[in-house]
Amino acid sequence: MSTAAAMHVTTLVLVGVTHRTASLDVRERLAFSAEQAAAALAVFRDRFPGREAVLLSTCNRVELYAAGGPETAAPAASELIDFLASCRALDRDRLARSACEHRDEAVVRHLFGVAAGLDSMVLGEPQILGQVKQAWTLAQKTGTTGPLTAGMFQSALRAAKRVATETGIGRERTSIPSVAVADFAAAVFERFDDKRVLLLGAGKMAAETLRYLREAGARDVTVLNRTASRAVELAARLGARPGLFSDLAAELAGADLVVSTTGGERPIVTLEDYRQIEPHRAARPLVVLDLAVPRDFDPRIGGLPGVWLYCVDDLAAACDANRRSRQQEMPAALAIVEEEVMRLMADVHHRTTAPVIEQLKAGWSETGEAELERLFRRLPDLGADERAEIRQAFDRYAAKLLHPPLVSLRSESRTGPPHGLVDALRRLFQLGE
Amino acid sequence: MVGHGESRSIRGREVGGGPRVNYNQGVASHDRPAAAIHALPFALDMTAFLSGISVVCFAASYAVALGCEASRLLFRSGIRGIVMVGFAAAGLIAHALYLGWRAAGTSAVPFSSPADLYLLVAWLLAAGYLWMTLANPRTPVGLFLLPIVLALVGVATFAPDAPSPLLHDATSRFWGWFHGSLHLAWTVAVVLGAVAGLMWLIQAGRLARKEPPIRGFRMPSLERLGTLMHRGLAVAAWAGAAAFVSGIILNAIQGRGGAAPAVPWSDSVIARMALMVAWLVVANGVALTVRRRPGGDRLAAWLSLASLAVLTGWIAWGLVIPSGHGAAAPAAQVVVEEAS
Repeated sequence: MSTAAAMHVTTLVLVGVTHRTASLDVRERLAFSAEQAAAALAVFRDRFPGREAVLLSTCNRVELYAAGGPETAAPAASELIDFLASCRALDRDRLARSACEHRDEAVVRHLFGVAAGLDSMVLGEPQILGQVKQAWTLAQKTGTTGPLTAGMFQSALRAAKRVATETGIGRERTSIPSVAVADFAAAVFERFDDKRVLLLGAGKMAAETLRYLREAGARDVTVLNRTASRAVELAARLGARPGLFSDLAAELAGADLVVSTTGGERPIVTLEDYRQIEPHRAARPLVVLDLAVPRDFDPRIGGLPGVWLYCVDDLAAACDANRRSRQQEMPAALAIVEEEVMRLMADVHHRTTAPVIEQLKAGWSETGEAELERLFRRLPDLGADERAEIRQAFDRYAAKLLHPPLVSLRSESRTGPPHGLVDALRRLFQLGE
Repeated sequence: MVGHGESRSIRGREVGGGPRVNYNQGVASHDRPAAAIHALPFALDMTAFLSGISVVCFAASYAVALGCEASRLLFRSGIRGIVMVGFAAAGLIAHALYLGWRAAGTSAVPFSSPADLYLLVAWLLAAGYLWMTLANPRTPVGLFLLPIVLALVGVATFAPDAPSPLLHDATSRFWGWFHGSLHLAWTVAVVLGAVAGLMWLIQAGRLARKEPPIRGFRMPSLERLGTLMHRGLAVAAWAGAAAFVSGIILNAIQGRGGAAPAVPWSDSVIARMALMVAWLVVANGVALTVRRRPGGDRLAAWLSLASLAVLTGWIAWGLVIPSGHGAAAPAAQVVVEEAS
């Protein structure tokens, strides 16, 4: 195999669209379901035999990772764009305008960043790691993986895990409902299974907040809505108890945590209203997550002792602070990614030297064998043990001679494919192409 | 209650008519338990090992653990938790061995001197810290508890360290142990309650400012901290009152039949303890009264902190004003300075 042919083994190509390069419209049209992805990979296998491919499709990105086989180059980026466009019946030129392309080391760096959530819309979000794993598993099942993609994806998972454990990039929450529950409500209450949760209104945010509260253990949930039938419907959907809006004061007196999303023109609970309710609460603390715009609770209520009132702006500010905190972890995360990229690339580069090393070993072994035969013919009285001892000495000698060039090749592989050394070895030892 | 028996000195001096002992050096050549240990040939190494443990050993371990806790605010580290727990556990073990060695080497009532009491309280608090850290690794409770542990160890080196003489009748022994155990209980309760109160105020301040949690500084919930500080105040009040009453009973028992009580009734320690107990009872009463009123937890948090301040004053009083309880031995007994 020539050096050029050996380089084909290392070729990696990525073509895809992400939330950074393409509009939602393009991403939606290019998105693959699991079944569609499996079918597309099967087509890829037939169209590009001997090549490897993994297709990652999420709501924020569709990316096709392709690699060359042992004797073949990876498909060109333009071929992959044609392939993707044909799979989803898209206009090829429009896709090409929105697509991003990477080659070789940049592909590895991109994948590691994606798996670690560094390229996600919400920095450090952990779901992408599961999606990368699924994409890899699907490609394995479809039979489009090989040594190069295997090494790359396994290293990507390792890099992502390192970023998650060694930095705090995914630790701080960044969505309003999760921050409301984990950073505020859970800082007031130790447990939620003995607390009464009151849900006012039917906002999407309220349902999402309730999901986090349920995960935290909340059991006793009452839903109030101005429209009684809507409250019943919501309560059935959320597994809660419906209540009458006219009982708001009584429900507030018994509640420990209120999630409010009615968004009326005027507050539904004024300071005066709350002052009337307060004596019936026996000084129990009350957490109010006022997610409505305009606000449902008079903000002055938050100044009363025992009341912890948070509006959307308060929670959004906390989310921003958490995002900034994540951003501060970015250099450490990138350093880990870079370290893992270098590690993988050194391994990949080193693999290109395998044919030369094999040739070198085979040549020396052949010469050694010939010399041994000649020696044994001249010393016919040697016993089996002595012959074995001499043969082992020859093998050790060959291994020791081979060791320095192997070390040099591995060392050179850390900075790139060791073409110079490989060519030198070929010329010095007159190895064939 | 009066310490005039033989003892081991934390500062390296011997009080009373017993043999010379230095806690920092740990030589116990004439004490009966130590002599028994020396009688076993294989135990010579162990004796040397135990005698080598000093206050500095475990105080340094706790200080390293405290440093690790403080570094949470500065940077993240994968091995910090292991280092922190390792040093705290090592300190705790050394501390326990030190206390055990100290108790084994005296023929008086073990742990009956103020110095012993502070060391024992420090050990209990350090054990509590280790347990809480293992149960909640992300809560920096050590930042609050370990400085108090170190302060108590420091105070112990200045506090009177003469233990009470052995009590020969069963009734006195019962009241003596009861009195000592309750002393430990109220002191630990005051410290834990104050730590919970301080954490409550910090957590409440953060929630009032609507800020997300500080990285590496995740506090327990207000609900949990509130329960802890109320319990701390209640236990401190009840145990403190019972310790006072049991001390009075013990003193009365020792003064039966015309004998002089172990602690003179006019001794400052009685007034000091009475004032402390009065504060604890009032603080607990106020906290209970306001618990079901708006702002009640905040007031309880301040009362818990005030109780710690009163305890600090109580300890300082004991250091400054001499008392017959756990004080130096009577003048008739010779203070033998450590020869080495």
